[in-house]
Amino acid sequence: MLKIDNLHVTVEGKEILKGLTLEVPAGEVHAIMGPNGSGKSTLAHVLAGRPGYEITGGTVTFQGRDLLSLPPEERAREGMFLGFQYPVEIPGVNNVYLLKAAVNAARKHRGLPEVDAFEFLTLVREKMRLMRMEESMLSRGVNEGFSGGEKKRNEVLQMLVLEPCLAVLDETDSGLDIDALKVVANGVNTLRAPQRSLVLVTHYQRLLDYIVPDRVHVLVKGRIVQSGDKTLALELERRGYDWLIGEAA
Amino acid sequence: MSNALLARLRDEYGAVRDALPDSVIGGERRLEAIEALCAQGLPTTREENWRYANLRVLERARFSPCASPAGMADLPAPLAGFTRFVFLDGVLAMGEPVQHAGLGVRSLRSGAQGPAPSMPQRIPALPEARLALLNEAFATDGAAIRVKREAAVPQIELLFIACAPAQAGASYPRVQLSIEAGARLTLVERHLSAGDAASLVNGALRVDLAEGARLDHYRLQQTSTRTAWFDTVEATLAQDARYSLIAVSPGALAARSTVHIRLAGPGAEVALSAAALGDRQQSLDTYVLSEHLAPRTRTEQIFRGIASGRARVAFNGKIAVRESARGTDSRQSLRGLLAGPEAEIDVRPQLEIYTDEVRCSHGATAGKLDENMLFYLLSRGLEPEVAQRLLKWAFLEDVVSRIELPALRRRIEHELAGQMSELASLKELLR
Ligand SMILES: Nc1ncnc2c1ncn2[C@@H]1O[C@H](COP(=O)(O)OP(=O)(O)OP(=O)(O)O)[C@@H](O)[C@H]1O
Ligand SMILES: [Mg+2]
Repeated sequence: MLKIDNLHVTVEGKEILKGLTLEVPAGEVHAIMGPNGSGKSTLAHVLAGRPGYEITGGTVTFQGRDLLSLPPEERAREGMFLGFQYPVEIPGVNNVYLLKAAVNAARKHRGLPEVDAFEFLTLVREKMRLMRMEESMLSRGVNEGFSGGEKKRNEVLQMLVLEPCLAVLDETDSGLDIDALKVVANGVNTLRAPQRSLVLVTHYQRLLDYIVPDRVHVLVKGRIVQSGDKTLALELERRGYDWLIGEAA
Repeated sequence: MSNALLARLRDEYGAVRDALPDSVIGGERRLEAIEALCAQGLPTTREENWRYANLRVLERARFSPCASPAGMADLPAPLAGFTRFVFLDGVLAMGEPVQHAGLGVRSLRSGAQGPAPSMPQRIPALPEARLALLNEAFATDGAAIRVKREAAVPQIELLFIACAPAQAGASYPRVQLSIEAGARLTLVERHLSAGDAASLVNGALRVDLAEGARLDHYRLQQTSTRTAWFDTVEATLAQDARYSLIAVSPGALAARSTVHIRLAGPGAEVALSAAALGDRQQSLDTYVLSEHLAPRTRTEQIFRGIASGRARVAFNGKIAVRESARGTDSRQSLRGLLAGPEAEIDVRPQLEIYTDEVRCSHGATAGKLDENMLFYLLSRGLEPEVAQRLLKWAFLEDVVSRIELPALRRRIEHELAGQMSELASLKELLR
């Protein structure tokens, strides 16, 4: 599904990713953990195609294609989804309008006709119930005045409606209360499928109790320094990152 | 300002003066107007509050009025519930006069309908408003509207359609509106072009609101992008009068609108919301002055302007609080969006306060489309072009959402947003 090989990325003259290698096969859930500032969000943004990052080396293959050559909107239509660590508020752009425009963009890409407005709303309402979101949020501006947790739920709602092949969720669990964490995890779990992959960026092993990962990677100073199964997350919880930071230096 | 130009203006006036209808404006008053204008000179961009206007067309202008066109232009679909009057090149072409107890609407020219409505007193000419003098000198017709207190709020639509090319002369749309104590009116005023005529238009609008009167005024300037469009609004508000003005201006090659609002009675209130959308070579300039003359008066000014292509969009919003206006409350929110590398946007709040005890808050910003917002939309698969349009649309929402007539709002949304119009239908589905 996703293959990152020796990726080097520079932001404003500073190298952030320093030869990152990672492979996520179809159907698997991988977690990426690591200290603040280690480059997790940078990786997520680079995968989604955010401008401002200079790729100085390496390759990224997504479903056999060179991901880095695609503009961001095409990556999305090809089935890549980024759940933002800090979802943007866009006052004046209707939440439901964005959802529909996003769905139609992907459908058009696949040669399908636009969704029927009524069926679309039925689907969205169903997913909202799953995410325990108030329906009034649909007619509000995108994330406008949403609480931190509501924004995160809205990201997951978008993901559920778009049904991507690869979702990268950047700290979608941060800022969620205990019940919301379960709701979000439950939502994410409904997407698990053999043809779909998930990358979870998180600081908390608790999320991984609900969404059990196939692999856990530790990102330190722009490189994956350790990979393992779900028990690695437990070990990190116990030991912190210090023992790995030594190795990265 | 060259003397040659003023001499030509005088000559042109002299050549047509005898043909100008007395019933619209008396000869003496016209002459006064031309003299007053010549004494001041035509505006130039060397003047602070004319800096951003495109005034070059005035130098080449033919000031004398064009001949009234024959025939009828294509008209937009009527607005349900509104009584429509159509003016071609400033002259009434369609619409029966209304004359009953609560409402009088008539063409200024038609002397047959009884005595001409009394001419409003001239307001001491503000240099920014002096193109109203040009209108006064040359006007060939106009609408006179008088509203008295009545159970139902009258709804009037005035369509001004510019037909003649500027070489054939200018047109002078004119409205004299007075609303009596406690009465109310909803007015939609649209300025359009016949096809892509390259016209010269110089309109003037006088509004007098008596005690407790209320005017909801929607102005759409949608003339062709070859038209030079000048316009002066002068409004006087008596005690507790309320004026809501919503102006949306996507049209004209060169537009300059001057709005002078005098809050003359205690408790009077004006809310002005303006949106201007310039693209390609368009130059859209607005100057607004809220003059607070009485205690406890209120102003709210909202401006949202977008400049794309090589367009230049400017808004200059001044709030003047005179000594007599204690307890004034004024708010300004002026925002410009720069949507092209060669575009230009200027938003300028000005405050002039001569008394204590006032509350004035203002914010003015000009910037580009937010990169984070843009990327968020792209990351959801939206075409860059659609994403930009959506963000521009959102930027205008602060103004468009204030349009309280759903049918009109929908129409404006459709016209401004093109494909974005499905947004409106989705909203309805959700209700
Ligand atoms: N635009 C930028 N200019 C300069 N430095 C940047 C920029 N963007 C990111 N960085 C730096 O890159 C490094 C990695 O940032 P990144 O956001 O990827 O970290 P992270 O692993 O997601 O951290 P966190 O766990 O706190 O979210 C940080 O040191 C950050 O300061
Ligand atoms: Mg981060």
